[in-house]
Amino acid sequence: MNMHRTPSQGLKPTADKAYSDAARIGNDTGADVAPTDNVTAEPIDRLLYRNPNLWRGCDLAGQGNHGRSTGFPQLDAILPGQGWPSKGLMEIITPHWGMGELQLLVPLMRSVVEQGQWILWISPPYLLYAPALVQAGINTEQVLVVKLDTSCKDALWSMEKALQTENCGLVLAWQNWLPSKVLRRLQLAADTGNTLGVLFKHHDSEHSPSPIRLKIKDSPVSQGFNEADITVIKARGNFRPLTTRLKLYQHARQPA
Amino acid sequence: MEDPDSSKQLPLLAHSARIVALPRPVARVAAVVPESAAPVTTLKASPSLWYALVFPQLAEQTPSRQQQILEQLAGLAQAVSATISFHPHALVCEVRSSLNYFGGIEVIHDRIKSTLSEQLIACGLSGDFLYSASPTVSGSLLLARSGQNCLVYRHENLRSALGQLPTSVLELNKEQNRRLYNMGIRYLRDIWRLPGDGLRKRFGSDFVNLLHKALGSAPEPTRNYLPPPAFLTSYDLPYEVELVERILPVADEMLAQLCDFLRRRDLSASHLVFSLSHEKRSSTKIAIGLRQPSRSREHLSMLLETHIANLSVPAPIVAVSLEVKKFDAFMSHSDHLLLDNGAVKPGYTDRHLDTFIEQLQARLGGNPVKSIATVAEHCPEYACEQRDYNESGTRGGIRRTADNPVASNPRPLWLLSEPVQLVVRNGKLYHRKPITLVNGPERIETRWWSDGDIRRDYYVAREDNGSRLWIFREKTGAQHWYLHGFFA
Repeated sequence: MNMHRTPSQGLKPTADKAYSDAARIGNDTGADVAPTDNVTAEPIDRLLYRNPNLWRGCDLAGQGNHGRSTGFPQLDAILPGQGWPSKGLMEIITPHWGMGELQLLVPLMRSVVEQGQWILWISPPYLLYAPALVQAGINTEQVLVVKLDTSCKDALWSMEKALQTENCGLVLAWQNWLPSKVLRRLQLAADTGNTLGVLFKHHDSEHSPSPIRLKIKDSPVSQGFNEADITVIKARGNFRPLTTRLKLYQHARQPA
Repeated sequence: MEDPDSSKQLPLLAHSARIVALPRPVARVAAVVPESAAPVTTLKASPSLWYALVFPQLAEQTPSRQQQILEQLAGLAQAVSATISFHPHALVCEVRSSLNYFGGIEVIHDRIKSTLSEQLIACGLSGDFLYSASPTVSGSLLLARSGQNCLVYRHENLRSALGQLPTSVLELNKEQNRRLYNMGIRYLRDIWRLPGDGLRKRFGSDFVNLLHKALGSAPEPTRNYLPPPAFLTSYDLPYEVELVERILPVADEMLAQLCDFLRRRDLSASHLVFSLSHEKRSSTKIAIGLRQPSRSREHLSMLLETHIANLSVPAPIVAVSLEVKKFDAFMSHSDHLLLDNGAVKPGYTDRHLDTFIEQLQARLGGNPVKSIATVAEHCPEYACEQRDYNESGTRGGIRRTADNPVASNPRPLWLLSEPVQLVVRNGKLYHRKPITLVNGPERIETRWWSDGDIRRDYYVAREDNGSRLWIFREKTGAQHWYLHGFFA
């Protein structure tokens, strides 16, 4: 019994372990850099950032480069991997439609199309307007729309199948209330198909299993037409919600 | 040279009971039945009897149409013969082998006459045709073409029967006809008096060959009719099945048979129909259309499962049958040789996508997937077009229109199918919240030539809750404000 207890006592919570590892590495490298007592928080951060061997377990925002760039440097800076994940499920929450939620994805759509993959829009709430896509530089040949009045069940079924299809690069769907079982299933499909699925919603659900949840906030009229506050509510690897202000409509021709 | 004509044939005409004259009013009975000899010996003497059907009305049709009609007629003629060959405006069937079965050439003729006539009338042609039977293919054709709807059973009589025909049935060219005429030759029997070598020199070997063929002294290769492939299989279930999923093992077995059939014939199927029969009810049909012809069992059974997933049957199923409606030649897919080369752009074929869209069609029905394209149009509603992804040539079409000029002013990604009227309260615009105009106006005046005259001032606006709107004000009538799109 003793033999068993000793190793289990030795195991500490992962965060502690990470910190202790960090301390060890810091000791190894920091011995000849500076004495520890008069170092402020900022140089330590810098030092930690600089060391590529170091995994900072609690906060990956702006770390690594495994993501696909969002086209917005401020947003890249607060996303793990400096960009959108290459596969998986993403939720974008807007209280109303037409708050720039698609503008957020325009650079991504463009790169998806350039790679010869397809963008599938599963029963969008309104007509998708081709001239606007052309203005945004997205080739309409690679865009397919599943008809508007598809029932929720069929739309989810199509989304799952689309996510499993390898040459669909991006699957967009508009669904409000989905149980987490369904979301997990979609997440699994996205992982098998190596596809990125985006769900647009009006309401946030706290316990959603999607790896990334973003929210576009209501902004006062006093704010510029282009600007919007984006909150990354959750991102796999991020420790806390982060907010940034973006100029959303920079990719389309701007209204003066 | 002894004239083979008439010496044997004419006396036979007297035995009217023995004459087999085909029932046609214009027919001139020129030929003749075997003498009292038993049919068995006749069979030995001439192993085949060719029944020629000539359709002179086909001459006015285009060659492809001719071929199409002949194929249809050949399909019908299969009722009486297994060997049917194609000739210009004519079909020739071998009937000796089925003579005993049907009980004579008259029965055979009666059997197919009405169906052929109906088919010809259905094709918009007159229902009459010429026919003859003789021991050689060319002989039968010549006899039929001459309009003498006659029957020659025995090989020996062929020469005399053909001899009575005018030289026009040979369908020679003008020069050859002139030469024959100048030589004083009016009937085929006149030709037979001439020496073969001389004929060959004057008219070429084709001419001589034709005569030899007609008399049965030269081989006659023919191009035979091959019936189109057909696949129909059915299975009676040992007990009634209420759950549709239960038929899947049976259906899978049928698909395996089908794939085997297709592989042997180097074909693939592009349209199948499963029928589920019920007691005292019309059967349930499941039509499976494929975007690309396939003969993969996994693919087909996957599609069938998708179809069945949201199918409900009105009654228990007693039998299942599978029929292939459309076959296609099998086209195999070839991969790039240098696939591993990093310089090669990842080859995203549309195959996966096609499978996905097939599944989608199976589940949602109709054409659920649309592609969109821009149209060179000033009016915003008409500047975007949704098309069925299925339409053949869709992609080519879009490629052409992709270069259409689009408006230089900003356009919203979402367009409302019907503009929504906005309310004005205390001099302020409202949708759900107050609206502030951001940019505009952009005037669009178009379609004055049609009923839907459009005169609008478009503005980019912003609702207080953060939505970016595309709104317009009518310049005509009550000058109402409308919401037309969202800058999503």
